[in-house]
Amino acid sequence: MPLIIKDEYPEVLFREDGKRLDGREKNELRPIKMEVGVIKNADGSAYLEWGDNKIFAAVYGPREVHPHHLAKPDRGILRVFYRMATFSVFDRKRPAPGRREKEISMIISDCIEPILFLELYPGTSFEVFIEVINADGGTRCASTTVAALALADAGIPMKSLVSAVAVGKIDGKIVVDLSGIEDKAGEADLPCAITWYNKEISLLQFDGDMDLNEMSEFLDLAKDALGRIHQIQLEVLKSKFLTIQEKSDEIIVNKENQGES
Amino acid sequence: MMDVKRVISKIEKNYIINNLRKQERIDGRGLWDYRKFKIQSDIISSAEGSADVSLGETRIITGLKYEVGEPFPDLPNEGVCTVMAELLPLASPLFERGPPDEQSIELARVVDRGIRHADCVQTKKLCIKENEAVYILFVDMYVINYDGNLIDAGGISALTTLISAHIPEGKIENGNLEWTGKYFTGESIVNELPIVITYGKIGDIVFLDPNLPEELVCDGRISISVTEDKITSIQKSGAATFSIDELKMLGDKSLEIGKKLRKDLNLWQYKAKYK
Repeated sequence: MPLIIKDEYPEVLFREDGKRLDGREKNELRPIKMEVGVIKNADGSAYLEWGDNKIFAAVYGPREVHPHHLAKPDRGILRVFYRMATFSVFDRKRPAPGRREKEISMIISDCIEPILFLELYPGTSFEVFIEVINADGGTRCASTTVAALALADAGIPMKSLVSAVAVGKIDGKIVVDLSGIEDKAGEADLPCAITWYNKEISLLQFDGDMDLNEMSEFLDLAKDALGRIHQIQLEVLKSKFLTIQEKSDEIIVNKENQGES
Repeated sequence: MMDVKRVISKIEKNYIINNLRKQERIDGRGLWDYRKFKIQSDIISSAEGSADVSLGETRIITGLKYEVGEPFPDLPNEGVCTVMAELLPLASPLFERGPPDEQSIELARVVDRGIRHADCVQTKKLCIKENEAVYILFVDMYVINYDGNLIDAGGISALTTLISAHIPEGKIENGNLEWTGKYFTGESIVNELPIVITYGKIGDIVFLDPNLPEELVCDGRISISVTEDKITSIQKSGAATFSIDELKMLGDKSLEIGKKLRKDLNLWQYKAKYK
């Protein structure tokens, strides 16, 4: 039977003043908040709030491979498990992982692999677990961004971070960072990610239609937005170590004071 | 990163037991103290109710979804409330991927039974039309970090989620299901607040709220659900045995601890603000 309130989309995605329904300009990102070290048991972890998306990521590794036959004698393997909570979407999702989750896991894994030095860890695995507890459009990009942060938090050697965002076309106009409604009611959607060590595209999907001019506009807009996301990632990581530095400074000062008195 | 081990060394085990004999815990608590509860409610916009509950470092996020379906033939005017638990591999190196295992099913079942037999959810109010349409509530718990005693954290998490519920009110008109424009809130569907309280047992020592190392070395556990004045469900698990005197003592203790916890947590403060 259907639900009592129906999941309906508006017909127009721009307000009269030219802004988007949530009040954003075309090239404006939703508010992003990130945090590292949120899951104490994990080797590395991160939490991300991106608009109404809420996502946890945890990294375990390098560790023994289960099942053992997946181990590679010359290098480590990266396994990403992207999952959504049953209550993260409008219609309750079935608890078992579906085809969509498996595909996105693979896309994210392929996106992240270039930044790691897997050849230095033969016979081991790195496992990245991503749990979306609230979804509102662009979860694969948000998940990639938070997974990179969790890997960095785990202290795993990396060539650089990777950041991801979706660009799209709504009501004929090209905009950055589609929200849930814009994603469902819009015409085109292009999630992409950049690995910063070579500034190349590492995740790319597209659904919709575009001409060549639009494609270059899409990619330019994405690059600009990705730069801003990268800055946030770097600041979050830095602030973790600054906090540790401040604490150790405090301890040193306290000890010195005790020595004087 | 916390140090999580599947097997705890003899030395550490003896350390834990010797401390318990002196009425002390490795984390500084007394035998009958809970770790600190931290509760946030209504944190998930896509759910019809939610809670983020931490008990020490154990953390569980729970969300409520609903569907409208046909009632069971033997209960034509009652809705249904089901509880599910996922031990995410993200939460601990001890959890593995794959379909629910014994531990997650036990967690879901113990929390479910605690609620079911205590006149907690008013299933008769979850009926839209007799024999035709009732609400089916899904209370889904996700373990985000595991540091022992999932059952108590899960119980509080499920209760807070139900209290924070805001479910669209439906009616059947000309054979169609329609929204009345109002919401059911937790206040109107939750009556009693059964609180599940778990004890660990090592040798002949019983203690409240085992943390992870204690849980790994203890012989067994017992979980007792209590309302204001009654015991509503019990689950003994693990290879421990309890004497009858011990059970009488734990029954008394549970009512006392339940009373205090219910007052301290004041769960009704988390009720939804929808009307």
